[in-house]
Amino acid sequence: MTRDIFETRSVTRRGVVKAGAGIAGAAALAPLAGGRASVRARQDGGGDIVFLSTQLTPIEEAEAFRGEVLSGFEGEVEFVPEEIGPFNDRVSAEAEAGTGEVSLIGGQHGDFGSLAEQGLLMDLTDLATELADLGIVEEYLDLGKFGGEQQFYIPWMQATYVMAARREALEYLPEGLTEETLSTDLTYDQLLAWITAINEAEGPRFGLPAGESGLLHRFFQGYGYPSFTGALNTQFTSEGAVAMWQWLQGAWAVANPQSLSYDQMSEPLRSGEVWVAWDHTARLIDAARNSPDDIVMFPAPRGPEGLGFLPVVAGLAIPASAPNVEGARALIRYLTMPETQALTLEQVAFFPVIEGELPGDLGEGIQKEAGAVAATTEDEQALPSLLPVGLGDQGGAYNEVFRNVFQRAVVDQGDIQEALQTEAVALQEILDATGASCWTPDPESEGVCQVG
Amino acid sequence: MSTITTPRQDADGDGEAITQRRRSRQHLLSRGALYVAAIVLAVWVLLPIYLISVVAFSTNDAVYEYPRQLIPSGVSAETVTFFINATGVQAAFWRSVLVAVTSLILSTLIGAPAGYAIARFAFRGRDAFRILVLSTRAFPIVILSIPLAVTFINWGIYDSIFSVALMHTALALPFTILITSSIFVSVPRDLEEAAQTLGCTPLMAFVRVVLPLALPGLAAAAIFTFVLSWNEVFAAVILTVRERTLPALVLSSLNASPAPFRFAAGFTMLVPSLIIIFIIRRYLLGLWGRVSR
Repeated sequence: MTRDIFETRSVTRRGVVKAGAGIAGAAALAPLAGGRASVRARQDGGGDIVFLSTQLTPIEEAEAFRGEVLSGFEGEVEFVPEEIGPFNDRVSAEAEAGTGEVSLIGGQHGDFGSLAEQGLLMDLTDLATELADLGIVEEYLDLGKFGGEQQFYIPWMQATYVMAARREALEYLPEGLTEETLSTDLTYDQLLAWITAINEAEGPRFGLPAGESGLLHRFFQGYGYPSFTGALNTQFTSEGAVAMWQWLQGAWAVANPQSLSYDQMSEPLRSGEVWVAWDHTARLIDAARNSPDDIVMFPAPRGPEGLGFLPVVAGLAIPASAPNVEGARALIRYLTMPETQALTLEQVAFFPVIEGELPGDLGEGIQKEAGAVAATTEDEQALPSLLPVGLGDQGGAYNEVFRNVFQRAVVDQGDIQEALQTEAVALQEILDATGASCWTPDPESEGVCQVG
Repeated sequence: MSTITTPRQDADGDGEAITQRRRSRQHLLSRGALYVAAIVLAVWVLLPIYLISVVAFSTNDAVYEYPRQLIPSGVSAETVTFFINATGVQAAFWRSVLVAVTSLILSTLIGAPAGYAIARFAFRGRDAFRILVLSTRAFPIVILSIPLAVTFINWGIYDSIFSVALMHTALALPFTILITSSIFVSVPRDLEEAAQTLGCTPLMAFVRVVLPLALPGLAAAAIFTFVLSWNEVFAAVILTVRERTLPALVLSSLNASPAPFRFAAGFTMLVPSLIIIFIIRRYLLGLWGRVSR
C-alpha cells in the first residue's frame, strides 16, 4: 500500500545501539546527583495548549507529569491522556474539520505512522535542526522522519524492557551466577535453571505479563526471536525459533499460572506472588520504587544470537489542525531541555533521548532500573530491534499471531511446528496486506517482508 | 355404617393431615428455594460491590497482600482521596451528574410524548416507526465516531457537556419511547375517557389521570437513561477533550494504573448510581401496584 515513506532503513542496528548509549549516559550520571534540578522555562508559551498523549496515561504518572514537569513551563498546558483508538479518531476528526482543540500530541513511534501517512502532522524539520544541537540522539531524530525528508515528530523520551527479581530469589541462582554477574552473564538456559530451582523449593514464582493488556508479545518480537534466531519474521519457523518456543514451554511449566492474568509485573512482584519477572520499565518501576531494597533489576538474558532487546521511543508532534502552533513548539523545546528530560526520568521513569550529562536527583528505584537499562544497551552482545514498522492498523493482528503461537504451543502444550506453520500463513497475510518490508532485526527486504 | 364410616373418617382426617403436612412441607421447600435463590442473587450483586469497596479503602500494602484476604488488614482512604483529588476528577464527576440529569430530562420530554402517541393513536406507519426507533441502536457507534466529532466541531458544540448530553439522549431515546409506550398501553383508556366525560380536557385528563398511573414506568425509563448516561464512555470520549465526564476520564487514565486506583475509581463511580437507583426504586415499587390494578 503506502509503505514507501515508512521504511526505516536509515536506522541501522548500530544506530540504535548508539542511541541506547544515551540511556547509559543518563544512568551513569544518576549517582552524581547534586541538588534537585530547578527547571524554569526559557520559552514563553502564549495562550493555553491542549497536549493529547497516549503516553503517561496511568493516573500517578499523569499527575506527576502535570504537577512536577509541566508546571515548570511558562504557559498553560492541559495534559489529556488518551487511548490510541480515540487518539487517532480525534486527530483525524479535528484535521477533517480544519480546526480543533489539540495543539500537541505525544505518542510512541508507531502511533504516528498512520497520522504521518495521511499528512495530518506538521513539518518540524526546522525545529529538529534547532534541537539537534542540544544533543537529541540523531538516530531517534531519523526515526521521526519515517524514512523520508520531513520531520514528523521530535523524540521525547524512551523506555525498554528489563527483568526484575525479588532478593529472596537470588538464593537459588545457578552455579556461577551472582547478583553482580546477573547483569552481564545471564543466559536463557541459566534463567530456566534458576526459575526451575525456585519452583522446586518455593513453587511457581516466575511471571510473565501474559494478561489481556500485558506486553508479552513484545517478548517474542524483541527478545526471544532476536536472541535465538538473530531475526524475526524471516526466521519465524526456523530451528532457532523452535528452540525459543521450547525454552518457553520449559519456563511456562515453572511459571505462576496467574501469569495469564498479569497485565504488568510490578504488582505480583510487590505481593510476592512472583519472584522473577520480565516487563516494560514503566510497568516495573512501581515495585522498584516502593521497595528498592527487595528488588534487583538486570537485563534480559542472552541467547545463541545475542541479547535481543527492544528500545521504545516516544515522540512529540503537532497536528496540522493545531490552534496554538507557537505554544506547541515552545512546549516541545521545553520538554527536550536537559533539565526537563532529567525531571521526566525522575518523575515518570521514562529515559532521556538526549546525550550528555543530566542534572537531577534520581530515586533509588530509578537508579536500579537505569542500571539495568544501561547494562542492556552497553552489552557487547546487545541486539536492538524496532517495534513493528509499516503495519498501520494491523499492529494488533500482528501481535495476535505471536500470542496465538504462545497459546497453542505453550499454554495448550501443542506441537510447536504445527502452530508455527499455521500462524506463518496468517503472518504473511498481514505483511502482504500492509505491504510492509522487513524491519530490524530482519535483514532489509526487496518489497514485502517474507516469512521464513 | 357408622363402624365403617368412622374409620373412614379417621382415615380421611389422617389423609387431610398428611396432605396438609405435605403441603406445608412443599410450601416450606418452595419458600426455602426462593430464599436460596434470593440469597444467591443478592450475593451475586453484593459481593463485587463489597470487594470493590473493601479494596478501595484498604492500605496500599493490604491490596498487594498474598494470599489475598476477604477481610482487609488495614483501612485507609488514601487511594480514594488521591483519586478524588487528582486533576479533573471532581470536575468530571459533576459534569457526569449534569450530563446524566440533562439526558434524563431531555429523553423524558421527547420520549414520553412519542411513547404516548404510539400507545394511543393508530396512525399510518406506526409499526414501521416503532422498528425505526429501535434501528437507530443498530448502528455501531464506533463507525460514527469521526463523522460525529467532525459534525460537532462544525456546529461549534464540540468539547462541551451539552454535546455529550445530546448524544446520550439520542442513545437513550429508543428505550425511553418503547418503555413509556408499553406503560401508556397498560393505563386503561376508559379512565381517560371517564375523566373527559367528567369535564376534563384531554390535556387535563392526561396530567391528572394518565400521568400518575404512568409514573412508575417513567421512573423506570428515567433510571435507565441515568445509568446509561452515567456509564456511557464512547461518545463521551470522542466528543470531549477537556470537558471529560467521569467514565471518559477513568477510561483514559486508569487502564494502565495500579490496582488500588482502579478500585478507588470503581467505588467513586458506583456510589452515585447506587444512590440514584435507591431513590427512584422506592418510588417505583410504591407505585407499581396501581397500574396493574
